[in-house]
This record gives sequence, structure tokens and C-alpha cells, in this order.
Amino acid sequence: MINLPLIPLLIPMLFAVILLFFPKRIILQRAVATGALALTVLASFWLIYEVYTGGILAVTLGSWPAPFGITLVSDLFSALLVSTSSIITLFVVLYSFESIRKEREKFYYYPGVLFLLTGVNGAFTTGDIFNLFVFVEVLLMASYLLIVLGGEKAQLRESIKYILVNVISSALFVSAVAYLYSVTGTLSMADLAVKIPQIEAVGILTVIAVLFLVVFGFKGAIFPLYFWLPGSYHAPPMPVLALFGALLTKVGVYAIIRTYTLFFTMNTGYTHELLSIVALLTIAAGCIGALAYFDVKKIIVYNIIIAVGVILFGAAQLTEAGIDGAIFYLIHDMMIKAALFFLVGIVAILFGTSDLRKMGGLMKTRPALGWFYLIAAFGLAGIPPLSGFPGKLLIVQGGFEDLKLWGSLFVLASSLLVLMSVIRIFLYAFWGDPVETVKIKEPVFRRMFYPAAGMVILTIVLGAGAEWFMPLISGAGEVLLNPSFYIDAVLKE
Amino acid sequence: MTPVFFVFLPIVLAFFIPILFKKLPQIHTGWFVLAAPLFLVAYYAAFLPGSAAGETVTSSFSWIPSLDIAISSYLDGLSLLFSLLITGIGSLVVLYSIFYLDKNREQLHNFYVYLLIFMSAMLGVVQSDHLISLYLFWELTSISSFLLIGYWYTRDRSRFGAMKSMLITVFGGLMMLGGFILLYLMGGTYSIRELIAQAPEIANHDLFVWSLILILLGAFTKSAQLPFYIWLPDAMEAPTPVSAYLHSATMVKAGLYVVARFTPIFAVSPVWIWLVTGIGLLTMTWASFFALKQRDLKGILAFSTVSQLGLIMSLLGVASVAFHVDGAESTVFKYAAFAAIFHLINHAMFKGSLFMVTGIIDHETGTRDIRKLGGLMGIMPVSFTLAVIGSLSMAGLPPFSGFLSKEMFLRAMLSLTEFDLFSFETWGILFPVIAWIGSVFTFIYSFYFVFHTFAGEHKPELLPKSAHEAPFGMLISPAVMAALVVILFFIPNLLAVWFIKPAVLAIQPFLYNAPGEIDVHVSAWHGLQPEFFMTLGIYAVGGLMYWTLRKWQRIYDVFSHTYSLNGLYDSLIYLSDAGMNRLSGLYMTGFIRNYLVYMFGFLILITLGTLGVSDAFEFDLTGTAPIRAYEVILGIVLVAATVTILMAKSRLTAIISLGAVGYTVALFFVIFRAPDLALTQLVIETISVALFLLAFYHLPQLSRHEERMKFRFGNALVALGVGVTMSLVAFSAQAQKALPSISEYYKETVYTEAAGGNIVNVILVDYRGFDTLFEITVLGIAAVAIIGMIRLRLTRKEDVNEKQ
Repeated sequence: MINLPLIPLLIPMLFAVILLFFPKRIILQRAVATGALALTVLASFWLIYEVYTGGILAVTLGSWPAPFGITLVSDLFSALLVSTSSIITLFVVLYSFESIRKEREKFYYYPGVLFLLTGVNGAFTTGDIFNLFVFVEVLLMASYLLIVLGGEKAQLRESIKYILVNVISSALFVSAVAYLYSVTGTLSMADLAVKIPQIEAVGILTVIAVLFLVVFGFKGAIFPLYFWLPGSYHAPPMPVLALFGALLTKVGVYAIIRTYTLFFTMNTGYTHELLSIVALLTIAAGCIGALAYFDVKKIIVYNIIIAVGVILFGAAQLTEAGIDGAIFYLIHDMMIKAALFFLVGIVAILFGTSDLRKMGGLMKTRPALGWFYLIAAFGLAGIPPLSGFPGKLLIVQGGFEDLKLWGSLFVLASSLLVLMSVIRIFLYAFWGDPVETVKIKEPVFRRMFYPAAGMVILTIVLGAGAEWFMPLISGAGEVLLNPSFYIDAVLKE
Repeated sequence: MTPVFFVFLPIVLAFFIPILFKKLPQIHTGWFVLAAPLFLVAYYAAFLPGSAAGETVTSSFSWIPSLDIAISSYLDGLSLLFSLLITGIGSLVVLYSIFYLDKNREQLHNFYVYLLIFMSAMLGVVQSDHLISLYLFWELTSISSFLLIGYWYTRDRSRFGAMKSMLITVFGGLMMLGGFILLYLMGGTYSIRELIAQAPEIANHDLFVWSLILILLGAFTKSAQLPFYIWLPDAMEAPTPVSAYLHSATMVKAGLYVVARFTPIFAVSPVWIWLVTGIGLLTMTWASFFALKQRDLKGILAFSTVSQLGLIMSLLGVASVAFHVDGAESTVFKYAAFAAIFHLINHAMFKGSLFMVTGIIDHETGTRDIRKLGGLMGIMPVSFTLAVIGSLSMAGLPPFSGFLSKEMFLRAMLSLTEFDLFSFETWGILFPVIAWIGSVFTFIYSFYFVFHTFAGEHKPELLPKSAHEAPFGMLISPAVMAALVVILFFIPNLLAVWFIKPAVLAIQPFLYNAPGEIDVHVSAWHGLQPEFFMTLGIYAVGGLMYWTLRKWQRIYDVFSHTYSLNGLYDSLIYLSDAGMNRLSGLYMTGFIRNYLVYMFGFLILITLGTLGVSDAFEFDLTGTAPIRAYEVILGIVLVAATVTILMAKSRLTAIISLGAVGYTVALFFVIFRAPDLALTQLVIETISVALFLLAFYHLPQLSRHEERMKFRFGNALVALGVGVTMSLVAFSAQAQKALPSISEYYKETVYTEAAGGNIVNVILVDYRGFDTLFEITVLGIAAVAIIGMIRLRLTRKEDVNEKQ
């Protein structure tokens, strides 16, 4: 089916619109949203299958040939991220039933989630740099909806900051696209990959590449553009936080990886070195924050930043090991972050607070929650055979191959700080003297716990079954390292 | 079934333990657990004849074949010896724990699940030929150790000890992983055997020493060497069977195992020899000295374990020296590797029994504080006998096996004075001296341990329980070990044939081809050699110092906690939370204006920096229209209106100025002949100004007077900087248009193919209609978001209780 790349973004959009018509019927909202996401997941699996067996899929919209119209391109990298995002969104919706509160469900929560996924999947699929901007706007607007929904004081306070920063970064985004268009005269990414090597003015392209790093760095929360993130992510309810934490920064990371492998490769000695330095600083900044607070949400939120650094350090190497590792780690991190947010969300609900020092002894009453949390924590830290390990192994291997010895050791050592930060949650919330918890009905607890446990199990499958995913990962990496595959698929006529 | 699957047998059993614990509460769960190590002892014992003949068995299964990652089992003399220690001592420990841990009060299912996970992990460590497999099991031992130390998780000391041990050992593990990856890059394989085969080539690689040091970091942290040993004393919070098993007999020997296993690769390096021997010997002496500071029986044993691990470590270092000596197999250098393995076995036996005796004392008297204990000899005669056997073996007295290996240790250290490479000709003499001092303190603390507990005056008033002898079941395991300590003294050469020599072959494949070639014969008496006189000296000086212990034990008071390694760890931990909190507080102010300064500052710095470095700035006005008076005026109006917004004292002024900015931009569009854009802009501006006015009408008076916006020079500079940066890049991008634009295509096809009259409209709805579709979606979402924001107000109060 030639239009297959469109399906995973059209399904959520279509159903989001349908859901707008009957906002007050919660059960129907839940059912339709779940069904739509299940369909999206299936479509995305089909997409992976088609791309894996038949090669890169490109759709030219309105049949205007590339580079003149807009092209949607699904390579394995894009298809994998679309699938991962769709799965995570499905779990977020399942988790939301008991944790988002009925009032929000009546005020367009589910359409908001589906619109967000539309934007995310679109951003992962588009082959046009301006269209990327448009999809980023879609996901941002949906995220504004979700971050402010509920109108709690903290939400309003933090969403102003969130919106302000994103409006600024959007303005920068448009400017950067304009500069790029001025120099190259094109917007299609494949065409950019063809034309940029022909241009002698490497200097201005380097400046533009750096500007794009800043633009995407705002979204991806790299150092020192992450400052908006800890506060903004602290305000919304846990399912929204899980969704943001798992997906939104990853769009920025994806965009950096895509542009820095496909066409901003004219001056890698400068741009990619810069990227790896920024990546290491990002890890450091994330570690400081992850250790600094005794708040379960903040600890995981800062871990988002650390992971962004690790992924970009891998991507900056432009070696097979580094790129494959970055892709693996990216997928792992999306899933593990969702899982961790689910789990600490339950912990926070049980204790009625997110302050670690007011928690304790949950292991006695909720041992299953404790074990799943511990597994997720070890997964995050990259302990084998869990999902964090293969990615980190490859990234460090790539770093060593690139003779970035200290940087690679730093990435390894950062795992220790990550472990320290998440084990602290375990020590305080699950071990220690029991503290009285909020009484929750057993079925309610289960409906929150099962999606969380399911997400953890998926990460275990990703880690222990790494071999099943490696062909996809290395296939994705192959395209990133050989832009000609991408170019040929888009500009074949 | 290949051997690699038997590694997982304990973990498989672990899955059933919680069920057995719940369904059969009348039977102590330990009895089921015991099946696994007992079976495995028998299973591994069957490999002994082959191993004694120098045969090896390999098996593996692939985990991630694409990355060449497999889980493997390689049984040679060394790994078989360790496997038997793990399963043999494991059986005894489980048996002991059945009597030690109460089946009604304790969370036995947790305990045994952790213990079984550990058993698998440890078997995996010693059998892995594959580096990643080794690392996997290595971290699993750290994790199971974490869980076991924190077994009584409501106690603060347990949690502290668990965290400390995990942080230090996982740090080592991560560094070791780094070393492994470097080895992989140098040798192109993860297999240790294949790496050993190409050891000479690897040794010349630039990264060789890096990988050596990283792997040693792993070994030293795990085997509690200086300066990382500090986790081990705190790990004593674990139940005593765990201390006996993990923290003296098996897990802490994993580091020794790694050093032994990698000796064939790294022996060539003087760095290796110096570090392994030096750190090992320093650790031995340091820890033996501080063992006498301890008041807790398990504390003494913990320091003693650190010290003994150091001893074995140093012997492994000396074993590497043999690599550099021609014909080492027939000189004095042949003893070190043999002594290392011999002492490792002896230590496992006597230390295991001592830990179990300590557990008995704790169990039957309620305390482990040596100051409260004393005079138990008459009350607990069996325990006393076992403790004496263990302690005297540790002190190096005959007729216990420790005497034999201790003599060999001294001989090996003396051999270093004959080594004349890598500056040993100058410093070699230090080694026997330090070794001798360490041995003296070992002698003293062995006596201190046993006689301060069992001899002297009984103080029943200080004990929480009235002391009595332990039940029979609890005495079996320590008695078996103590018996072995005596038996091994009489049959050391039988032990050598079956266990020690095959293991030595694995450490020194560069010397021997088969275990039979190893020409070492152990005897209790071998004439008036220097080591004999050293031993006599140890007895004499040690005895004298033990006699006067009370007089000089006070010197330990001068070692303050603040300046110790523990103090360093505590301050690092403090730094990691309170310190990081303060650091983070410095810049995470919570004010968006601060954050914007950082972010814009970065934007300016990085963009201008790149512009300068890559020499990208260019200014070129060819092809641009001349600037006319209107444009200058409009520009001034634009800037003035913008500045007015910032200075305005009332909202009304601000809104009107904002409108002025918009209308000016619209006028620019008019001048540049883009009427449709101008119209759009005018409509947007009109609507937004009207909406603003409408909304602000309902707001209270602006209180700008209270928080008047001050002029901040820094902020102004940043604002100006952003403008200048963006403009400079814009000029440069404009000046360096490199290729014709795709818009040429639109000009050609707008009539013919798109059948449209207005190129802008056609771009919006056809060429790039997909963009427009989603821009409309954005507007739709915004509308929905606004409805939600206006109509839904949740208050914090109900948030928590809603689920009740």
C-alpha cells in the first residue's frame, strides 16, 4: 500500500476529531481512544514490516514530485520510532483511566493525546524540513492543551513558561529554515542531502547547522537549553508527564540525529565534535539535577536529560556502533521512561506526595510494585540483560573506537549516577519503615499497575530479546550512515 | 544439557521458592533450596578427573548474535575450582541458614530467592569465557549482594550498607566493562581464550594499559582492595550466612578470579605487576592493622577478609612475575600462583567456619560486641573448638592448613628480592617486609578474635540472652569446614593434584602445558629456610604484642572518622545530594527570565562563535532593492513601538504599541508588494488587539508600579545580542545563496499543472497543502485547549482523596 506511511498519523487524527463530538461520554471516549491507538500500533507494525522487507517508503503528497511538494518518508528509523510512540501512547491511555481524573476525561483529554501522537508520528515521518516544523507545532499545541488541562495553580504557572519557551524556539525554527532555504533553495530533506555537498560555502552551512542544533536542542532539552523542562514537566498529572517524558524530547533528539546524519555532514569535524561536547555536558547537567532532589518526579525528569545526552553522544560519532547504539538507546529510553513515570506515579498517589522523605516501607504492602520498579531502575541504569544495556554498550564502544576515551568513560560512569538516583527512590519509598499510605481500592490499583507492569515487561523483552530487534536497529542505522539510500528512495524519478 | 544451562539451575529454582514458602509453611524453605547446590556439587565434581588431566569443557548459547554476544560456560581448572567452592560452601551455608533463620519470623522466600540468584550469578562469573557474559553475571552478583545486605530493609544501617556496597561494586563493574570493550576493540573478540591467544599483539596496542587499569578497578572494588574496601565492613549488616557466603568465601573472590583469569593477557605489563602486588600487599597490612580496632566480631572478620584478599591478590601479582623470568617453572618464582590458589581454598574454609561461629555467638548470646563477650569457652565448648581451629589456621600455625599456604606466601614474597626488572632490584626488599608486618597483625587479631570471646571472664549481665551452646544442626557446617582445615594440612599434595595445579595451569599457561608439569610439592617442614625464621619472628613478635594489646590498642583512637576513607565516602554521598542540591539551586531559580538569559546567551555565543570560527560572515547587497525613505520611517516606528511595549506603564499602552508593531509589519508587506500577506497580517492584528482589549478589560489594574521593570544591562545586552546574531546570520545567508530555488518550478507549473492564478494560494492549498491541513489542525487543537482551560478548574485539595 503506497500511502502506508500516512496511516499511523491519520488514524489518531481522524479519531481525535471524532472524539470531539461526545466529550462527556467517558466510557466511549476511553474505548474509542484505546481502539484508535490499537489500530495505530497495528498500522505501525505493518509499516515496519513493509519497510523492512521492501525498503524505504516515500509518499509524495498531491503527487507533486520531490523536491517540489511534500514527501513523507518511512525508513526503518522513522518506522521504529512511530511504532514505539504509538505503543507508549496506548499504554498511557490505559494508565490514564484511573489516574487522570474524570473531569479531564470530559474535557478533551483523549483527543489531546491523539493529536499529540499525530504530531509526533508526523514529525518522525516527514521528509520535509518545513513540514517538520508544522508537525512540531501540532504536537506542541496538543501538549499545551494537555499541560494546562485541569487549570491547577502549578499547571497554569508552569504552562506559561512552557509555552513561552516553545514559542521562542518555534520562531527560531522558522528563521533557521529560512536561512537554510536561502542558501540551498530547497526544503526537501533528501534534496538537501543532494545539494549541500555541492555547496562550497561550508561556513554558512555550518552556522545554520549549529542554529538547527539550538532549535532542536530546545525541544530535546540539551545543555544549556533544558532549563524549561524540569519545572514544566513537574506540573502536569502523571500520565501526561509520562507521555511528554517519553515522546516530546525524543522528537528533538530524532530531528538532531536525522539532520546531522542526512545532510549536515559538510563539516563534521566541527559540528559533530560540538554535538558530542554538548552531549556530555547534557549528561553532567542531568546528573546534577537527578541527584539534587528528593522528589520522585524530578528525579525521573532529570533522567530524561541524561538519556538525551547519552543518545546524542552516540549519534555524534557517525560510526556503526555509535549510531546503532543511539537508535537502540533511544527506543529503550522512550519505553523505560514511560514505565518509570507510571510506577513513580503510582507511588506518588499511594503516599499522597512526591517527596521521598515522606515515604517508606512500600515493600511490605506492595511488593510487586517494588520489584517492577527495581527492574525498571536497573534497566534504566543499563544493567544487562535489560534494555538499557545493548544501546549503552554500542555507544561506549563507538566512543572508544572514535578515541573519545574520557567521554566514553564518563558515559559509563554516568550510569552509576543514574543508578544512584533511581535506587534512592527504592531505598526511601520501598525500603525503610512503613509510612501510612492512601487507601486505594484493589481494582483501581490494578488498573494503574497493569499498564505500568506491561510497559516494564516490554522493556525486558526489548533487552533480553535484543537479537529480535537488532536487524531492525542495524537496518535503521545503515540508512542513517548511507544517506544515498534515503536520497534514492525519495528522488528516484 | 550442556554445562551452561546448569549455571541457571539455581535461578530456575528461585522461581518456585515463593510458591513453596507459601504452600508448605510447615517445612523450612531452606530444605528445598539445599537441593540446588548439593546437586551442582555432585555435577561439577564429575568434571574433576578431566580437569586434573588438563582438559576443558566449553558450552555457550548466543544471546545477541548480531553483536557477537553470548552467554558461555568454560570449565577449566580455575573455573571448576571456583564452581565447587560456590556450590560446596553454598550447600553448607544453606544448611546453616536453616537453623539460623526462623521460618516463622523471617521473609524466607525473599532471602532464598536472592541467595539462589546470587549462586547462579557467581557460577556465571567464574565460568564465563565471554566478556559480556562475565560482566552480566558480575553485575548480577552486585545486585543480589545489594538485596541480601538490605534484607532487613527497615534498618537504616542495612540500607546504608546495601547502597554503599552497590555503588562501589557497580562503579567497578562499569569501569571493568569499559576495559572489556577496549579488549574487544584490540582483539576483535569477546572470548577470553581467544584474547589470551593473541596476548602478544594486544600488549602493543595503545589502549592496552587503559584496559588493564579499568579491569583492575573492577577487580579491586569487588575484592575490597585499597581504597575501595570500605564497603565490606558495612556489608556485615547482612544476615550472617550471607556474610559467610558472599562476603568472605565467594563474591569477594570474584576480583581475585578476574585477576587470575586475565593474568595471561596482562602479565607482560609492569603496571599490572606493580599494581596487583603492591595494592594487594598494602591492603593486607592496612586491613590487618585496623582489624584490631574493631569491637564487633563481624567487623574483625570483615577486616580480616579484606586483609586475606589482599594477601592472595599480591600472590597473583607475583605469579605474573614468572612471565618475565626465563625458566620460572623451575625457580623460586613457581610458588606464587600455587600459593595463591592454595590460600584461597584455605581462606574459604577457615573464614567460612569463623563467620558461622560468629553467627552462633550472636544467635546464642544476642550480641557480637567483643567487649561484652568473654569466658564462653566452658559454655560453648564445641563452638570454641571450631573457632580455635579457624583462628589458628588464619594466624598460620600448624597443624592447620593456613600454616602451609602462609609459608608459601612468605617464600613468594622473598622471591621478589631476586627479581631484577621494573625497578624491583631497588624496591623488591620492601615486599617481604610489608608482608611480614601484615602477618604479625594477622597473628594478633586471630588471637584477639578467639580469646577475647572465649577466654577471660564471663560477663552474663552484659549479654541480652543467657549464653548456651548452639543446636546440633547449626554446628554441622562450621564443623565440616574446620575438619577440612585440619585434614588439608595432612594431605595438601592430594589437594594440589585435583584442584590447585589445574587452576595454576589456567593462570600461567605461558609456563605449563599440563597440570602434571607443575613441580611444586608442599611439605610442612622444609629445612631452615628464611621463611621459617620469618614465621618464628611472627609468632614471637605477634605473641608479645597480643600480650600487651590492652596497652597499645588506644592508638586507634587517633584515627578520626573525618579523615578516613569512610569519611571520604560519606562526604561524597553528602556532596551527591545536599551538595548537588545547592549547586543546582544556584542556577535553577524557577524564574523563566533567568532561564531565557542562559538560553539566549548560549544561542548568541554558539552562533556568533561558529560564524567567526568558520569564517561564514558575508555582506552583499547586489540584487537587493535600494532602501527608501518609507522603509526608514517604518523601521523607526517599528523599533519605537517595540520599545514602548517594554516601557509601558499601563496595559492599554502596551497593547496599542503591540498593535502598532503588527500594523507596521503589514505596511512593510504592502511596500514589498505582497498584498495578500498584508491583508492577512492586518486581519490578525485587528482581531488580536481587539481580543486583548476585551480580555484585559476584565483584569484588575496593572500593578506595574509595585514591580516596575528595571532596566537590566545584562538583559538588554542579551536582547541586543540575539537581534544582532540573527541579523548577521540572515545577511550571510542572503549573501551566500548558492543554488537556484525550487520556487522556479512553481512559476513554471502554476498555470499549466496546478491550474491556479495566484502562486501563493496554490502553494498554500496545493503544492504544500499538507502543511496547511495541519496548520488548521493546530488552530482546532488551540480552540479545544482554550475551552478546556476556561471551563475546567481542578483544585489541589481533592486531588489526593479522589480515589477513596
